[in-house]
Amino acid sequence: MSSGSYEQNPIKAFASEVWGSVFRHGLPTTDKVAARTALTNFFLHIHPVRVKKSAIRVSYTLCLGGLSFFLFIALTISGLFLMFYYIPSVGQAYQSIKDIQYVATFGLVMRNIHRWAAHAMVITVWLHMARVFYQGAYKPPRQFNWVIGTALLLITLLLSFTGYLLPWDQLAVWAITVGTNLGKYGPIVGPVSRYIMLGGRNVGQSALTRFYVLHVIALPLIGFVLMVIHFWRVRKDGFTGGL
Amino acid sequence: MAQEASSVRNARRAGMITTRGHTVRTGPELSSTPMVVRSREEEETVVTFPHLVWKEFLAGLAMMVFLLAVSVQINAPLLQPANTAVTPNPAKAPWYFLGLQELLERFPPVMAGVIFPGMVLVGMVLVPYLDRNPSRRPEDRKLAIGLFTVYVTMAVAFVIIGTVFRGPNFSWYWGQVLGHPGLNSKV
Repeated sequence: MSSGSYEQNPIKAFASEVWGSVFRHGLPTTDKVAARTALTNFFLHIHPVRVKKSAIRVSYTLCLGGLSFFLFIALTISGLFLMFYYIPSVGQAYQSIKDIQYVATFGLVMRNIHRWAAHAMVITVWLHMARVFYQGAYKPPRQFNWVIGTALLLITLLLSFTGYLLPWDQLAVWAITVGTNLGKYGPIVGPVSRYIMLGGRNVGQSALTRFYVLHVIALPLIGFVLMVIHFWRVRKDGFTGGL
Repeated sequence: MAQEASSVRNARRAGMITTRGHTVRTGPELSSTPMVVRSREEEETVVTFPHLVWKEFLAGLAMMVFLLAVSVQINAPLLQPANTAVTPNPAKAPWYFLGLQELLERFPPVMAGVIFPGMVLVGMVLVPYLDRNPSRRPEDRKLAIGLFTVYVTMAVAFVIIGTVFRGPNFSWYWGQVLGHPGLNSKV
């Protein structure tokens, strides 16, 4: 802080001290300030300080990875809101969805956001995979990050699938019945994995409890950890850039 | 872009450009000789903040506007309360698994439920280890791109067929496209 600040209005000086203690640098007027800002800000720090110009062209990335992450955040926030009202019980789940739609303020639009963002995320994650494949961006040294990416695609599908059951309407229960029936053809593990997933032979309360716990805690946590590793490796390996 | 890079390379080889921002490490021993720098360092870079962060912000904003617009207009589906005694016809899995359901309709369960999806899953995970071709240029990767395009086309086609063209008993159905009074696939 310059010596002139002592002559300022003391409230202004205090405010600028507080601001300066949170944000250590001003707006990026020069490359040097921009680099320091990126280095000292926790949220910006997941990025490299400099990137290849060709690597951040919108026509190259189509923003698909970033949009997937954005949708994950939107889903977490809207999902938290839905959790305030949703009751994971066979007897009350459907009514609590009705309450979300017709009683809770902005509940209907929150549920809509959650539903459409979930569909959108399945699409953006899958398209992100296709984009990375077509550009050969999985080639050394990024092989293992592709493997983490496929795990993230699987987590995304499982998150969507487990969430599908929660409204406990005809669409939910029968889609999960058909969906889990698809998995039972596997040798030995097929029927067993279906039994473990549903906690029984049919879609009932145990299935609802398991899907709920997987949906709101287990899968988001696993997904988040995998995402952190995924981003960290992107940062360490550098962006692939133009072909 | 490639032309631009190669013109920079040529200019540098001819000694016309000796330094290019901070990306090229210059020293007395280097600046006196014509430089041949690795292509990686020839690429122009920009500071992430604000260039990339700004694009991310705009992309997020656009997605938020899109999501809100859709969510205000179209409500998430909610049918009758679950009833295990009443099976809807057709009973469909969520749309992203309809490709799998479509396969089961066409092939014996072991093929459709185990071998095909297993191959896709394992193949997908092992892609970087199976593909030994070091080049990233599309003209050098005809086989890889061809195979992947077959997968993409089939996956998209099967999901569309399962969603739109499968009616009662999961048999072929034009009603959703052509319209069919009195028939409603959402029981």
